[in-house]
Amino acid sequence: MQKGEGSEAQVTWEDQQNINKFGRLNNRFHELEDEIKVAKETNENLEDASNELILSDEDIVRFQIGEVFAHVPREEVENRLEKMKEDASKELEKLEEEKESILAQMAELKKILYGKFKDSINLEED
Amino acid sequence: MAAAASASSPTSPAAVTERRGIPGASFVEDVETYLKQSGLDANSSLAFLQERLQQYKIVEMKLLAQQRDLQAKIPDIEKCLDVVATLEAKKGTGEALIADFEVSEGIYSQAKIEDSDSVCLWLGANVMLEYSLEEAKALLEKNLENAKASLEVLVADLQFLRDQVTITQVTVARVYNWDVHQRRIKQATKEE
Repeated sequence: MQKGEGSEAQVTWEDQQNINKFGRLNNRFHELEDEIKVAKETNENLEDASNELILSDEDIVRFQIGEVFAHVPREEVENRLEKMKEDASKELEKLEEEKESILAQMAELKKILYGKFKDSINLEED
Repeated sequence: MAAAASASSPTSPAAVTERRGIPGASFVEDVETYLKQSGLDANSSLAFLQERLQQYKIVEMKLLAQQRDLQAKIPDIEKCLDVVATLEAKKGTGEALIADFEVSEGIYSQAKIEDSDSVCLWLGANVMLEYSLEEAKALLEKNLENAKASLEVLVADLQFLRDQVTITQVTVARVYNWDVHQRRIKQATKEE
């Protein structure tokens, strides 16, 4: 707790809302980091699967649908994989963009809050 | 021409008093006024606020658990939809679908799935019902929609809850600082 001398800046409702918003953004930021990790893994797995497919020369490939591995002709597997890779890559891009936007908003809020409260507030990760 | 006194104070935040059972934390405009109005001294007030924070923590745990459940349920439903879609696609062709499925950990067996118009869906509580492909798809899609909607509401609840926690924490800090400030003033006047 800050040992303030005399009168520190009063906390207005607007300040409180900014602090709340910062907290919410920070939470979402951590969630996003986890989601991005998973999305990156998915992308990698699909890439590996794609490579395996190229190396193998079977005509019928066991492709996972739900909980079972269906015997699917090679061409269909190629198409499905392509589509899945595209979706996964778009998803990852969307998440990265959201992360950038959140970081920017947090930086902006930090400027405002530190500007008013200086040492009385701590917005860093511990 | 008296200035009309407005019923609501101009700076009062439109505080939500509660949301789905979660009590809202009222924002404190001025610490001194707040303490006078509640009739508590700084320590009792801090104790009350800390208790509130504990309550919030409990609710947060519950909501997080619900969120985890829903987040696990959604990919499950999507997988089922995938299978139904595959069966639908195979229907026209007249070929059987050959699939390897897990009998036990690490042990797989092969199944030949003939053209069929119906699937059985596990509804939970040891109940499995047979549906036509279209009905199954409709049911699964509705379940998926409901799950996603519930998740959205849950996320909004969590955001509301975290806001209330933040407001309460800030109030704790302000009451504490005000108290320290008061003691310092008393100390200063004593020493005169």
